[in-house]
Amino acid sequence: MKKIKFQKSLPFVFLSPFLILFGLFYIAPLVYGFYLSLFHRYGLRPATFVGLKNYVQVFNDANFWFSILNMTKFFLIQGSIMIGLALIFALYIDNEKNHFRGLFRMIYYIPFAIPTAISGILWGFMYSKSLSPFQSIFGLVGLHPNFLSSGSLFWSIINIVTWEWAGYNMIILYSGLQSIPRELYEAAHIDGAKSFDIIKYVKIPLIVPSLILSIVFTVIGTFQIFNEPYVLGSMTFIPPSFTPNLYIYTTAFSYGNFNYAAALAIILALVTFAGSMVFMRFAGFKEE
Amino acid sequence: MDTKKSFYSPSTVTMVALMFVASAYFLLPLFWIIIASTKSDSQLFSTNPLWFALPFNALNNIFNTSSYDGATLWRWFSNSIIYAGSVSAGTTLISAMAGFAFSKYDFFGKNILFYIILGAIMVPTTALVLPVYLLMHGLNLINTYWAVILPSLVNPFSIYLMRIFWMQEFPNELIDAAHVDGASDFTIFFRIGLPLVKGGLATVALFSFVSTWNNFFLPLVVISKSNLFPLTLGISIWTSLTSTGRGPSYGAITMGILISIVPLILAFILLRRYWQSGLSSGAVKG
Repeated sequence: MKKIKFQKSLPFVFLSPFLILFGLFYIAPLVYGFYLSLFHRYGLRPATFVGLKNYVQVFNDANFWFSILNMTKFFLIQGSIMIGLALIFALYIDNEKNHFRGLFRMIYYIPFAIPTAISGILWGFMYSKSLSPFQSIFGLVGLHPNFLSSGSLFWSIINIVTWEWAGYNMIILYSGLQSIPRELYEAAHIDGAKSFDIIKYVKIPLIVPSLILSIVFTVIGTFQIFNEPYVLGSMTFIPPSFTPNLYIYTTAFSYGNFNYAAALAIILALVTFAGSMVFMRFAGFKEE
Repeated sequence: MDTKKSFYSPSTVTMVALMFVASAYFLLPLFWIIIASTKSDSQLFSTNPLWFALPFNALNNIFNTSSYDGATLWRWFSNSIIYAGSVSAGTTLISAMAGFAFSKYDFFGKNILFYIILGAIMVPTTALVLPVYLLMHGLNLINTYWAVILPSLVNPFSIYLMRIFWMQEFPNELIDAAHVDGASDFTIFFRIGLPLVKGGLATVALFSFVSTWNNFFLPLVVISKSNLFPLTLGISIWTSLTSTGRGPSYGAITMGILISIVPLILAFILLRRYWQSGLSSGAVKG
């Protein structure tokens, strides 16, 4: 009897360090953020309760929705390129018949070890007119592109983010591929399937959960992009409405409007959540 | 049987060649930074960006980057080690304990709690960082090491990962056997359990070290004193100062960048066994 009673509190002893910190730095900030979002500060007077007024303002905030739309576009283009590449790489390094698998796996994954702020600076230097190794290459065919102009910035950042995360997604998909029993390939081979058919009808359908994981991580990551445009901001002009995070950061720390920024952050969290859910739902239907 | 798949078949050669092209793409920025860090500023702007130039200025750049502003780069370097080291040690212990509780006990609210933690993976950091900033402000912790360390200790993904390791590497029969021998649950956790899940511990430690070393947004918000900067923040400030002509030379910055990325690249190459196993156990269940 006594022992059972002791056992009941025991899991909470193991959980308590996590629960305390989770409460303090996850739950409390979310609740506090929501509380803040219900107030507005007029001039230097104490904040007054305004109910959901900040949210009404968010829905009419063209800059904010531009940033959401911009990142949706970014996700559709960059996400497809990156996950497409990651899938090709993963299929390659998963196939035992291929050469240099360990080497390629290592090389493609290395950018993940580099801080995204530093990657942003590094590519920023390589894009800049005076330092760029590309200018001489493009110069050979008479082109002098400006990678940091407002027109090409979107694509330049797509390149940086793809460079950073393709290897990471490759590893997620590769792990999925590694868990497929090899006998399935032999069976398909005996049935006369070509390697392309095996990829299409065996490998890809079986790694749908890993693909969904990749896509959901990409959705979450894309709507949070901040470091790369922020550091590039010292080399070229980047509008705050380029990404939602940049806009929220500017609202809070450049304009000191924490209450409105809190409302923006909550709407961003909901948009991210909804975006992730779309793909998880899709996965649920696929599995049935 | 495999004759058509031999190394010299055209499709194989094409594929390997394309994979090498992709390798060149991933290595190009690293190659460029190694070259750039060996040049003086005038060489940077006038010589071939993709090859070394003479005289070799690497040592000069190391001296410049190390001595700028009272060796502030090395101060940032040690700050990064303090942040990443303490977060890594703390997260690993906290996640190991929580993962143990989730995998080995039944308790009230277990499933709901676990779903809340999984859901927390999806919360964007901005939604947290703003109120965390105000909380830290209220607690007078802005511009202290704690402001970066404490929020970083909460890592839902590590708990998810540790739970899987406990389920896979530590059979429940071992707990029963140890109970029969009179061992307490704490003895079981520390003495018997932790050594068995050391692969999981290494994975979580490596990943939390990397994510803290690489963190930029949180320190940007809660740290404004230069002597508490991590490398990421310090180097970005150098870059923006230099772009307006008030910072160190480009040679010093490129060498600083190289110094800030080499430790983690080495760690990744040397510890590849752990991130590979860690990601596979995390992703397969995804």
